[in-house]
Amino acid sequence: MSDEPATAAETGEETPADVPGVFTLYGNELKTLIATAIVLALFPFVFARMPVVSDVLQGYQSLTTLILIWGIFALGFDLLLGYTGLLSFGHAAFWGSAAYGAGVFSQHVTGSPVLMVVAGTLVAVLLAWVLGFLSLRRGGIYFAILTLAFAQMLFYMASSPLAFITDGENGFTGVETAELFGMIPLEEDLPSILGELLGTTLYAFVAVLTLLCIALAYRILQSPYGMVFRAIRENEQRAKFVGLNVWRYKLMSFVLSGLFAGIAGSLFTIHGSYVPLSSLYWTESGEVVIMTVLGGTGSLFGPIIGAGLYLYVENIVSGFDTVGPFWHLILGLVFVITIWTFPRGIWGFFQDVRDYITGGDDQ
Amino acid sequence: MSFHIEVITILLNGLQQGAIYVLLAVGLSIILGTLKFVNFAHGALYLIGTYAGLLLALDVNLTSGLLAEWGYGQLGLGLGYIPALFLVPVVVFVVGLAMERLVVEPFKNRPDTDQILVTFGLAIIVQELFRAMFGSGSLPFSQPTWAQGAPSVPFLSAIPISQWRYYVIGITAVLVLIVYLLVEYTDFGLVVRAGTRDPEMVELLGIRLSRPYLLVFGIGAALAGVAGVVGGPLNPVNPTIGNEILVPAFLTVVIGGVGSIAGAVLGGTLFGITQAILVSTYSAWAQVGLYAIAAIVLLLRPQGLLGEEEVAP
Repeated sequence: MSDEPATAAETGEETPADVPGVFTLYGNELKTLIATAIVLALFPFVFARMPVVSDVLQGYQSLTTLILIWGIFALGFDLLLGYTGLLSFGHAAFWGSAAYGAGVFSQHVTGSPVLMVVAGTLVAVLLAWVLGFLSLRRGGIYFAILTLAFAQMLFYMASSPLAFITDGENGFTGVETAELFGMIPLEEDLPSILGELLGTTLYAFVAVLTLLCIALAYRILQSPYGMVFRAIRENEQRAKFVGLNVWRYKLMSFVLSGLFAGIAGSLFTIHGSYVPLSSLYWTESGEVVIMTVLGGTGSLFGPIIGAGLYLYVENIVSGFDTVGPFWHLILGLVFVITIWTFPRGIWGFFQDVRDYITGGDDQ
Repeated sequence: MSFHIEVITILLNGLQQGAIYVLLAVGLSIILGTLKFVNFAHGALYLIGTYAGLLLALDVNLTSGLLAEWGYGQLGLGLGYIPALFLVPVVVFVVGLAMERLVVEPFKNRPDTDQILVTFGLAIIVQELFRAMFGSGSLPFSQPTWAQGAPSVPFLSAIPISQWRYYVIGITAVLVLIVYLLVEYTDFGLVVRAGTRDPEMVELLGIRLSRPYLLVFGIGAALAGVAGVVGGPLNPVNPTIGNEILVPAFLTVVIGGVGSIAGAVLGGTLFGITQAILVSTYSAWAQVGLYAIAAIVLLLRPQGLLGEEEVAP
């Protein structure tokens, strides 16, 4: 990690000419994003249509979309857990409220997918602001329990007192998604080679948003702002002594992570055309925790890989005759073993392998 | 039913529900207060208590799950409820000791988040293990025949509450009192309290803290086991009950004040009675009310009702 971004910003305050513009690239940004775009473009083909590989994996198209959606969720969660060091057990609140927000918006206002995402995300961000404000009054374990409590409160609100909006136990079924930009149906395959590679328009839409989210997260983490998050994780007291307003940064980290959860939750509604009540339940928060930790906290791509692995086990391994019924148990075991012996997760493992091969001077 | 009987019924139901929370919260609270260990697997101990109680007390006929497939569909010792009440705490106490040595010890010096994560993972494993073994459906765990119906005591016989609920309240009161006396008035309790204040100094004085800690964890676990066996006959028994009760139990600890037994009792009773009142008036808000109380208490008094002002970490 270099100190350059920080010094650039410090001098930037004095001489505005040095402020990096929006289009100034940080570090390996371009390389990272192009590589990501290529992977996102090939993923559905390899997973669902490539002759031998997809047969072995038993992958299918709609799972690829779901993996990216949860990937966005886990990526945002990692911003909070992996970078700022705050463990929230209430992220289902943002995921679920965005899902409901997008669904209700599509029923009463418009079913434009873009606007649905905007509406859902707005709900999640506002909620994250309020809940963050309340939960961050206490740190450590209390923060985990407080977020859990508020999220559960929301779950029970949706289950009965607000049932006239949410349809309670049955889940919200009134989702009416329209065509993208008013003309492209989401569920149809893209034409010619694009259809072969990406599959449906929905996947393309989700993939573009995923890329944008990764770009945003990359920007945040490479910027001085992200540096402060890491400083808080490493030593909150010292960050305070340096003169940083720790509380404000924590709140912003929480809100940003709510933003990602909101985007993901809204996409989840578009993907499933249905919002189950369980999307607010605390086990959903637990799932994103597991995905993030399995994939590797404190990395950009780890959580997305974790989401992929989790959903793969949940949707495909669960269909195997022998181990299928025990998929949840297997995930629990893998999760505990990961925390116990390898807290840096799959991505950390990749890094170690790379460092072993290259001699470790890349860092 | 006259009005005052209705009120008393609600209060007693609330006390009984509160008693379950209290049993869980006292255990969680002393573990959190002395060992500084966050146990998200406390609900799993409750689950083990319930199933252990069921299998010890009754003959169970399993219809799904691996045990049934392997030909152990007829399970259970059928010892009756009284032996189960005494044996379950012992079983869960032993589970607790094992857990302290195998999980808590290695994670003592790891960050809080790792403790939460590993115990959360364990809770999932236990839940799924029970699901695999006993099936995910609800098992019948009826109240003992001698404890059904209102007690035949002059005044109480008019109140439509089964005797079992009185026993639950009574057992909780006795156990919590015992734990309180143990912590406040014995040498063991003195060591534990001193260890909570300043573990380094206590060890410098030549007192080994690892054994009292082990015992504290075991006692906390045993209380969760008791909660499981007395609460089992009052609710459906299935593998998710452990993780469902974990959240209210944790909230009880937090609103009562960590490490405070009196706080746990106050918090649990408050929760139980609020829930009972809301269930019989605005039932849609019953669960929300619980969390609303927790939120209000924590915003006004972050250290909990009876908690001491904590030193900033």
